[in-house]
Amino acid sequence: MSGHEAPDDGPLIHRRYVFGLLLRLCVNTAGGVGILFVILFFALSRPLPGDYAGVFHALRNISTFLRPILAISVLVYALLACGSTSALCVYVLHKVAGPLYRMDLVLDQYRSGAPTRTVSFRNGDQIQPLAQAFNRWIGTLRRDRQRWLATMMDAERHCLQDEATCRVKMEEALRKIAEDMARYR
Amino acid sequence: MKNHALQPPPARIRYVNPRFQGPAVLAFAAIIAIGGAIFWKLVDVEFQRVFRQAAIRGHYTFDSAYGIIRDLLAWRLAGLFAGVFLAGSILVLLIVAAARRGIGKAVDSLRASADGDLSTPTGTRHIGEFGRFGGKIDAARSDTLASVMAIRIEAAALAAGGIPPAEFRLRWDELKQRIRTIAP
Repeated sequence: MSGHEAPDDGPLIHRRYVFGLLLRLCVNTAGGVGILFVILFFALSRPLPGDYAGVFHALRNISTFLRPILAISVLVYALLACGSTSALCVYVLHKVAGPLYRMDLVLDQYRSGAPTRTVSFRNGDQIQPLAQAFNRWIGTLRRDRQRWLATMMDAERHCLQDEATCRVKMEEALRKIAEDMARYR
Repeated sequence: MKNHALQPPPARIRYVNPRFQGPAVLAFAAIIAIGGAIFWKLVDVEFQRVFRQAAIRGHYTFDSAYGIIRDLLAWRLAGLFAGVFLAGSILVLLIVAAARRGIGKAVDSLRASADGDLSTPTGTRHIGEFGRFGGKIDAARSDTLASVMAIRIEAAALAAGGIPPAEFRLRWDELKQRIRTIAP
């Protein structure tokens, strides 16, 4: 059941979270069925008339009011169960949906060229390895950027000597940067 | 003393992401509605039959209609619970599997990006909402690759020589500025 797991960063979605979701779903379903039982119990537990003919006729004619009772009780069950399950879905799945939304914003921010900060999710959020993988990527890019800039600045220092040496060092630095960038494909 | 005016506002916590939670809510609602409809249909037919038989049998040993259908109702309710819970559980496991697969691919893709692979697609196209998310990651990687490639071509062109010193210096400074825009 583990599926995609990051060996160094832990599972994407913890088993405890899945079991918690299933347990809540179980309680929710049991509650809905319990409400349906209570409605039908109260609707059908009215005492039947005392005499033989009265009971016979009551049982023969029960279908006239049985159908609306069933319809209403099932409708109430469906509405309550749908409402509570929807609330459960929103409450439990936000541990996945929230981080996804956050990453969406971070990716938009990154593409717009605005400074990107390290991503960290809320405590208890799932899919933590996503934030770690993104931070690792951005970290690698920043390290590379710093190295390229340092190479260029190192070459610029030779400009204090003479123009020819400076130019040679600058061209060397550019070749080194171009070679270094070749790892990006 | 901290200057609160300079601090960025705290990240807004979003509990509802309709693109992700909406289909899940609709699927759960469909399971409940289908379960309720099947229960209604079965119970209606069976209750009619049981009440008719009870009326004809003649020995009325029960106080209420509930006494006649008690066992049948218990079984049908148990069936409704089992059906809805099992279908719901399968749906939960499917959602979790889709999330693991979709986000797993996104994580793999970001890890590959850290190792320099910015062109292999994330491969989340057919996993619902994760397809759109994977597309965003691919777009970000593609932008980065385009930027790095442009810088590399310019660096190689400058390194090739034959450029007048004034122009070289100008393009050198521009290149430095472009490198600064990578992962700001």
